[in-house]
Amino acid sequence: MENAINSQKKTLRQKIRSLKKPSKKMNVKRFTRSRSGTVIYFTFIALAGLFSMLPLIYSVVTSLKPLDELLIFPPKFFVRRPTLENYVALPGLLSNLKVPLSRYIFNSLFVSIVATGLYVFISAMAAYILSKSKIKGKNVLFAIVQIALLFNAYVLSVPRYLIFSKLNIIDTYWVEILPHLASTLGVFLMKQYIDGYVPDSLLEAAHIDGAGNFRTFFGIVIPVIKPVFLTVILFAFRDIWASIPDGTIFTENLKTLPMIMTQITAGGIARSGSAMAVTVIMMIPPILVYLVSQSNVVESMSSAGIKG
Amino acid sequence: MRNKKRKGVESLKARDGLMFITPWIIGIVLFYLLPLIQSIVYSFSDVLLTADGMKISLTGISHYKYIITEHPDYTNMLTESLVSMVYQLPLIVILSMILAIMLNRDFRGRVFFRGLYFLPVIIATGIAMELIFKTTTTDISSSAPEAVAGSLFTTTDIMNFLNLPTGIADYVSNIVNNIFNLVWSCGIQIILFISGLQSIPGSLYEASHIEGATKWEQFWFVTFPMLGRITLLVVIFTMVELFTDTRNELMRHVSTLMKGGVYDQSSAMLWFYFLIVGGVIGIIMLLYNFKILKKWE
Repeated sequence: MENAINSQKKTLRQKIRSLKKPSKKMNVKRFTRSRSGTVIYFTFIALAGLFSMLPLIYSVVTSLKPLDELLIFPPKFFVRRPTLENYVALPGLLSNLKVPLSRYIFNSLFVSIVATGLYVFISAMAAYILSKSKIKGKNVLFAIVQIALLFNAYVLSVPRYLIFSKLNIIDTYWVEILPHLASTLGVFLMKQYIDGYVPDSLLEAAHIDGAGNFRTFFGIVIPVIKPVFLTVILFAFRDIWASIPDGTIFTENLKTLPMIMTQITAGGIARSGSAMAVTVIMMIPPILVYLVSQSNVVESMSSAGIKG
Repeated sequence: MRNKKRKGVESLKARDGLMFITPWIIGIVLFYLLPLIQSIVYSFSDVLLTADGMKISLTGISHYKYIITEHPDYTNMLTESLVSMVYQLPLIVILSMILAIMLNRDFRGRVFFRGLYFLPVIIATGIAMELIFKTTTTDISSSAPEAVAGSLFTTTDIMNFLNLPTGIADYVSNIVNNIFNLVWSCGIQIILFISGLQSIPGSLYEASHIEGATKWEQFWFVTFPMLGRITLLVVIFTMVELFTDTRNELMRHVSTLMKGGVYDQSSAMLWFYFLIVGGVIGIIMLLYNFKILKKWE
């Protein structure tokens, strides 16, 4: 009996395989090209890719240049005698500020991680409600999100400052964290994804099985929306990591890397090596976040596209 | 009636729902809506900075009147940013569509290549981008012979050689000089297009292949129409990005004004600008399809 079922399963599997195979071949056929075509093809993407990488390569190269090579005019692309001078000199450059470089790095990491974590959870919860609840006015709220996507921070900088001072959070960590929690892009992407990938029946089933709202949210919704979750983490981290809270932080102890970068670049051409060194240091954390989340980025952007 | 219209899950009761969404609403109201309303108020009034805070007195539309009719540069900057959008937008959209189609093919190392185009999006934001951009564009183009891309920057010679009409020659050299700008503006667009390409069912290609369509025909009759919506999204996204770019001349002007403490006039400048941007985007969406507007709600 079992043997018969097994053999039936086998033949079925083979059938399925044979059904799948031709379509795969079709795909391959569709994409085959002559050898010269392939060469042209790869040359094109490699060239365009080179253009997109060149500025990044150049900033790494510049950060390795010794002072005399930095001052050459016209500047050379490649470095003759690479040195780590610029990196080693960084702590010394900041010594007159009486705060070690590690403190700025810690501040940057602390603010970015806390703000990104809060940002992503707050957006996920809001997106979940905007997508799945029957709250009155949720359509109005979502319309606000879409309109808000069009504005950038310039318009808001001054009035925001007044609100910071009313909340009494100027010159604290709060002023670096709280403004990022007014998420629009995160809510937009996540709402689209939940609309497309979290069926109502799944939530109803969880409810019938006795899961509370928090249990449903953390146990079901978040695992299902993991791709967009990671994508939003990437975008949020990138923005928060690079943001400069203009005129709201005065204590040296609370400043972040981008803020001291402006101070270093103000030092003119002699400091350009050090400025590049800070830039290179600043590139590292976003790249790490990207490496963790990269396979999910395309997938979750597609949901925004299909719905949008 | 209204309850029927609203879609959603019954078990998610209003009270619990509010609990979930409250933190976000507080954030949006405090750091988005209130500042937004405040800045509209600024644009319609005179803002004076005094020792004990701001003095705001309503003056109506005088700032708008001033910047449109009397301000020496405003209308110029406005048209300039509109014109630069007109030539950058199609380039970015077409280039990223081509690159997306190429990167969507099955070949070894495509993850690497995708990363190559996406990397600038991730690491180059804010001050880091400004710095990298400033040094690279000036340094690389001035160290022409040695730079990898050097030969491409002496475009004037090539233009003279080709003997093109000046209008086209200017256009081409403008593109070449902005090539980093262009390639760097394509990151998210490429991702959006790739995701759009992946949502096209493979059966359509098979069917068209069986019917004897060439690759060129497949592109125009399958890929292109199926990418319609994503193209709209990319166009709007790119427009917003170009308009609000910090390298945009109008944006730079406004930010220096704001740093100098002139809030009323600069707010008016920004709001008028956004009004036009919003108008252009609205027209494009209306032209594309009226139905899609409903879907966005």
